[in-house]
Amino acid sequence: MQSVGPIFLLMLTVLFLLPSGTVNAGEKITIGEVEDVVLMPWGVRLPARVDTGAVTSSLDARDLKVKNNMAEFKLPKKYGGLRIHLPVTGWQDIRSADFKEKRPVVEITLCMGPKILHIEVNLNDRSTVKYPLILGRNALKDNFVVDCGQSHCLPPSCAEASPK
Amino acid sequence: MDLMLILTWVMLSLLVSGTAGAEEKITIGAVEDVIFLPWGVRLPARIDTGAAKSSLDARELTVQDDMVEFKLPPKYGGLQLRLPIIEWRHIRTPEGRERRPIVELEICLGSKRIRTEVNLNDRSMVRYPLILGRNFLRENFVVDVKRRRTARPSCPDIP
Repeated sequence: MQSVGPIFLLMLTVLFLLPSGTVNAGEKITIGEVEDVVLMPWGVRLPARVDTGAVTSSLDARDLKVKNNMAEFKLPKKYGGLRIHLPVTGWQDIRSADFKEKRPVVEITLCMGPKILHIEVNLNDRSTVKYPLILGRNALKDNFVVDCGQSHCLPPSCAEASPK
Repeated sequence: MDLMLILTWVMLSLLVSGTAGAEEKITIGAVEDVIFLPWGVRLPARIDTGAAKSSLDARELTVQDDMVEFKLPPKYGGLQLRLPIIEWRHIRTPEGRERRPIVELEICLGSKRIRTEVNLNDRSMVRYPLILGRNFLRENFVVDVKRRRTARPSCPDIP
């Protein structure tokens, strides 16, 4: 008992501390300003910038081509460079302070924390910015609240997203 | 003896987990009204976790030595402000890099009165005159984008 005691105490402490950081505002899950997500069904893990200032979400698509309503692109090399084909569900006008453009929109499935999300993302080359995925308000509104004092606080834990 | 120790530890852990961290933070929505102090000007702000720094719509901006003079947008009263420049900083925008003056402002959001740095630029092309970025949000707020205007400015000493 004497040697087991400290380890037991440590485990208990961890157990009690763990859940406190993740649940807030009713059922919503607290996430940080940057979180890793898993792109399904491929199991590719990407860091995502959690962006309450963006209406929609956006994925870094390299060598993007659209033909017959199908988008073909590659993920950035840094994240494996997987080639993906997805149907284009729409086109989105992107407006910001200084520019305007039209981007194809596709639907993707993500695992963030314990949640599987089906969300629309627009595709564009994001090679000049830090994160390959922006999660905008369309991805956040039903399940999450954002705490900018944290990052990487909720690793993907969907059963379906375990590495294959 | 061991059992007592364990129980004490459990109670302590519970206490710590119940009081630390997120509890002090206020949940706000994707858009909130704030008040600039001491002028009492009320503006809607986009709550933007994608922005590293906060940014204010400054019209007719002129710089003289270490001071910057500008007007708030006419829609929000067009008040002319003159503030010391804390520093100049390069800001990353979708278009590239831009050098902007930084000033310090006192802002009331919900019940919190916060001194914070904002960079100044002409935002007449976009919808909200104020972007509150991570430098402002980090210590005090969590964001629930399903909400809008749920934290009315209610700082003490504000009419």
